[in-house]
Amino acid sequence: MLSRSPAQPQVSPVFVPAQLQERLDELQLRSRASALAVSVVDLETEVAFHYHADRWFHAASTIKVAILLGVFGAIFRGELLPQSRVHVRNRFLSAYDGSPYRVRMDRDANAEVHRSIGRTLRVSELAHAMITTSSNLATNLLLDLVGLDVVQRTIDGFGLEGIDLRRGVEDELAFEHGINNRVTARGLARLLWLIGEERAFSPALSGQILDTLHEQHFKSGIPAGLPRDARVAHKTGDISTVAHDAGLVYLPNRRPYALVILTEWAPSAGDRSATIAAASYLAYAALVGDPEA
Amino acid sequence: MTGPAPSLPLRLADGRRLERRYRDVLLPDGILCDHAGQARLLPRYFYEIESWDQARDTYLSPHFAVAEFIHTDVREAPPLRVFPRYIPCATALLALALELLRDAAGTYVHIGANGGYCSPRHARVGGASPHCWGTAANIYRIGDTYLDTHEAIARYASIVREVLPTAWTRPLAPEHDRTDDHLHIDLGYVVSVPREAAGETYGAKLAGDPL
Repeated sequence: MLSRSPAQPQVSPVFVPAQLQERLDELQLRSRASALAVSVVDLETEVAFHYHADRWFHAASTIKVAILLGVFGAIFRGELLPQSRVHVRNRFLSAYDGSPYRVRMDRDANAEVHRSIGRTLRVSELAHAMITTSSNLATNLLLDLVGLDVVQRTIDGFGLEGIDLRRGVEDELAFEHGINNRVTARGLARLLWLIGEERAFSPALSGQILDTLHEQHFKSGIPAGLPRDARVAHKTGDISTVAHDAGLVYLPNRRPYALVILTEWAPSAGDRSATIAAASYLAYAALVGDPEA
Repeated sequence: MTGPAPSLPLRLADGRRLERRYRDVLLPDGILCDHAGQARLLPRYFYEIESWDQARDTYLSPHFAVAEFIHTDVREAPPLRVFPRYIPCATALLALALELLRDAAGTYVHIGANGGYCSPRHARVGGASPHCWGTAANIYRIGDTYLDTHEAIARYASIVREVLPTAWTRPLAPEHDRTDDHLHIDLGYVVSVPREAAGETYGAKLAGDPL
């Protein structure tokens, strides 16, 4: 089902929302995901498609795109520079009761940030680690530096509904008490659309945000459902009950489209990456046409 | 002059005579209150560090270079994130104390970022922190041991109490104003006035002093 051949010159077919909706219904049934939400916003054709797009999901690591926006907001306001040095310290305060907690090294994909404890890393290095290898320690350091309220105000300032930042990552106590970061597919798609349109603060800063998202290491979701010459600026998110991918898809000879795929699962159920890749392919085929169909 | 001048190749700076942008963040001779509400007089005299090379190459004791005491992050006041930088003269006493700890531990002692001198305008400073006197150090690692467990912190705090009986170590606990991810050592609110410092002329400020 998944096309891996290079994309043909892009000629937009007539987009049929009902057909894509039907195929996503089938995919959800087949995959046994307990929830699936998809948003597509095409900057080329201005087509927008939303499938259960206002359903709230635990954000997992997709919230890091919003935190990245908050960091660049601080850079835009002159409060930070990309080369500003930040003390690497593994001690954060729970959103539930202010008690300290730490990010476990064995649950963090990036050991390099942990090895820098006691020293400093640049804001740009932390942002890179937060996105490309999903470092939880880097995320909390940046959130601690910029401030949760400031990041949420930045999100709100762009009128981005559907992104609810309430705590740092790995805050188990807050998780146990139902304090979680939440997103909707529509909210994340709007955020990506903003970045793709180069309206996140300035074209230059939007470009830097995109550069960071383009360096994503985990490619088993959206990119796996696309032709080889597609480039994706994206962020994945996985915890025991959700698996997401959200990004901007760049194909030859056309403007990008924002694609957000959010899924929810019973613990240890289903082939999550394959389901996200399949949804990515369906969106691609609906927007661009399937050259192998 | 009755003897050789000190060999430290750093200019002695009277904080009260520095440019205003430095005075505003160093607060020479200013007052900070500690958690008990006691007023503490900040240092007036500082060593001036011209460059990172000078910080790295200038040692306050056999094993502790100036650079280790000025490794701050973006939370430090903007004028002190670029050179010239300033450290209170008492920082040299802290370096000597850390030398004793290093000898007792038998290995390297690593001061963490924001763990040496912090100005009163550092965003993490609340009240009279001895870090503003240059007399406190946050130790994150000794040799290959990260001080991020109660056992490791307690072990080295015990060594500190043995070799530096007048030093204070922050109690171990996760609550505010305690520590559980580093060893905090400080010598208290020590102010050092080198012999070559201009000092005070007798005046109104001292007139009430019975001595």
